[in-house]
Amino acid sequence: MSEQILLVSQLLQQTCVFLVIAWLLSKTPLFTPLMQVTIRLPHKLTCYVAFSAFCILGTYLGLKVGESIANIRAIGAVLGGLLGGPSVGLAVGLTGGLHRYSLGGPTDLACMISTIAEGLLGGLIHRALIRRGRVDLLFQPLLVGVVALAAEILQMLIILAVTRPYATAFAVVDSVALPMLTANSIGAAMFMRLLLDRRAMLEKYSNAFSAHALRIAARTEGLLRAGFNEANSLKVARIIYEETGVGAVAITDRDKLLAFTGTGADHHLPGTLIASPHTLEAIRDNRVVHADGNEVAYTCSIHPECRLGSTLVIPLQDADDQVIGTIKLYEPKGRLFARLNRTLGEGIARLLSRQILTGRIDAQRALLAQSEIKLLHAQVNPHFLFNALNTINAVIRLDPDRARGLVQHLSTFFRKNLKRPEETVTLADEIDHVNAYLQIELARFGERLKVDIDLPYIYAQVRLPAFSLQPLVENAIKHGTAHLLGTGHIRLFAEPGKQADTLLVHVEDNAGLFTARQASDGMGMGLVDKRLKARFGPGFGLLVASETERYTRITLTLPLSEETAHASPAG
Amino acid sequence: MQALLVDDEPLARAELRALLAAHPDVTIAAEAGNAIEGMQLINRLNPDVIFLDIQMPKITGIELVSMFDPEHMPRIVFVTAFDEHAIRAFDAHAFDYLLKPVEPERLARTLARLRRAQSSAVPDYRPLIELQPLQQLPCHGHNRIVLLPLADVESVTARLSGIYLVDTSGNEHFTELTLKTLEERTPLLRCHRQHLVNPQAIAEIRLVDGGGAELLTRHGRCVPVSRRFLKPLKDALGV
Repeated sequence: MSEQILLVSQLLQQTCVFLVIAWLLSKTPLFTPLMQVTIRLPHKLTCYVAFSAFCILGTYLGLKVGESIANIRAIGAVLGGLLGGPSVGLAVGLTGGLHRYSLGGPTDLACMISTIAEGLLGGLIHRALIRRGRVDLLFQPLLVGVVALAAEILQMLIILAVTRPYATAFAVVDSVALPMLTANSIGAAMFMRLLLDRRAMLEKYSNAFSAHALRIAARTEGLLRAGFNEANSLKVARIIYEETGVGAVAITDRDKLLAFTGTGADHHLPGTLIASPHTLEAIRDNRVVHADGNEVAYTCSIHPECRLGSTLVIPLQDADDQVIGTIKLYEPKGRLFARLNRTLGEGIARLLSRQILTGRIDAQRALLAQSEIKLLHAQVNPHFLFNALNTINAVIRLDPDRARGLVQHLSTFFRKNLKRPEETVTLADEIDHVNAYLQIELARFGERLKVDIDLPYIYAQVRLPAFSLQPLVENAIKHGTAHLLGTGHIRLFAEPGKQADTLLVHVEDNAGLFTARQASDGMGMGLVDKRLKARFGPGFGLLVASETERYTRITLTLPLSEETAHASPAG
Repeated sequence: MQALLVDDEPLARAELRALLAAHPDVTIAAEAGNAIEGMQLINRLNPDVIFLDIQMPKITGIELVSMFDPEHMPRIVFVTAFDEHAIRAFDAHAFDYLLKPVEPERLARTLARLRRAQSSAVPDYRPLIELQPLQQLPCHGHNRIVLLPLADVESVTARLSGIYLVDTSGNEHFTELTLKTLEERTPLLRCHRQHLVNPQAIAEIRLVDGGGAELLTRHGRCVPVSRRFLKPLKDALGV
């Protein structure tokens, strides 16, 4: 009996060696597919190779007892089956079994058969649990231990059944049963424990990493979008400094330091030209440069007493992968970069690059919008000018005084056109513009055009972007009433909106040709809508109501300022 | 020289009227404020020359040209401020035109040309007509004007009282357009001395005794086909 206990303890020692090897291997990527239930073929293959190796290792780490071996082969076979399914279990069992068979001895055949049976047992339990939807149980060390125990009992029975003479079989089982049952169950359970720990650690790691990255992303959101300059860069650098806990953070453009925060901020001053060979290299070669202070030496290029001992320089890139600057993470002497910082650093660089890019697109878009308006202005349109001149030309002959008046209106119209498009103006101002325009058109169309303007004086000071109203009135004539055989009627009127503190200004014609009009071209109406929404928010802008051949009504929704909103319309 | 002014802007007409006053041999027979009035006046007055604006509501000056009876084509002087497209066509075919504001010298030259050309043939305006083919036909109701899309016309009937378009609902619309104009300027086909038919509307051709035939339209109405037009009609339809 004492001999048996000795054997148990010896085999447990061997199991420890086995587990140490497993622990070392768990640090390698080889283990990643083993940490979950494997479904895809490459994973199954890795699973097979790894557990076959453990199976064979289990044989070699066994103890010679007489002519047989007290071994821990079952750990590999059972785990292979449990994690890989019946096919992997069978394959692992077969590999481990054939290997055992090649070593010979009285129990070689029985051992081979039993190893295959063990692998298969693991596989069948895998399948049964998957079918019941209890994948979680597969990772329970206790269950794994119980399965290994069952597998070993199965092995003992097979040895007794297969090995002849029976006396030899009995002698073998008698001496190895206890140590093998113990060592294999405990070993298999601990192997699973090890896998679980490894998985938990990885998850914790990546959780912490994602949390960091997400916090940085959230806090820096939109900062560089507003412009890649010193002020914004400093804000971003501070956030990254706080979130990552590195020694210092710097942001540069291609030539100079834009922002620096952390250790050494006293001599790393924004505006300094880039002197660091690492930064220059990162910009020149468009790649990450890591001067860790060990393999790649790092000394501050500005101050000999600088306490910074290592740096990671990551290029910031624009849409064409051209370098537009760098972000630098520093650690003081005596502290080493964790690998985490490098990946995170690259992530941050990507994030900032994206922001800078978006900022540039925004700026371009704004520019485009402005030039659109300029274009619209330039087009104010030669046809109108021709018509105006022809009209005035005719009126000079008939009524020189009236002609003088028209020239005044034309002059007013063009003076109002000189307003800058980004200005806001008062409604009264816009009406002056519209009126100058309408006076010319009224003369031109004579009896064919009637205009009613009804805007309560109280709204005169309501502000709106310049050029919001005149284009709408021009459209109503050019694409509306000008196409009528009968009299065209333009109405311009205002009323309080349903929403509190809003004002509706309507431009209505009696042509009702809106659909045809829309198809012809943009008319600048879209632009008016966009500009109102950009200035006042989504609740404002243009609305169109139209009934074919009856009317088209364009409605401007504008915000009312406090004092205008509460004054009485009668005033 | 009898002249007709067609322009939708009263001041433009007034200006031209004033300029023409300097030429005593030109009398202004009438003025029209749009193309439809213009067509009525042209049919009624048969003027020697028409001063025709291009940009007008509903029917442009160019479209109006395609509505003239090809057998009584008047002489036209186009008047425009800025229609590049049309001006290119005028230049290409040496049609008379004036740019607004009209220069008195240029008007004098144009009138001189017209006087010389009085006896010669009227220019061929077909290139212009091709620029803007007829899509809608003006019809005069009691006190309104309907522009009937060509696709809605089923057939055309000539009576003593005038030309009538029959639409797909069977309603008749009086029009100033002549059968000849409709036959030449639209896809409508002549099937009888007094009838045109829209080939898109034909459902059936029934032959009748005496060599003639009868068309049944998609909306169940009959249009007579005379013996003389049966063959050309069948050829045109490819049957």
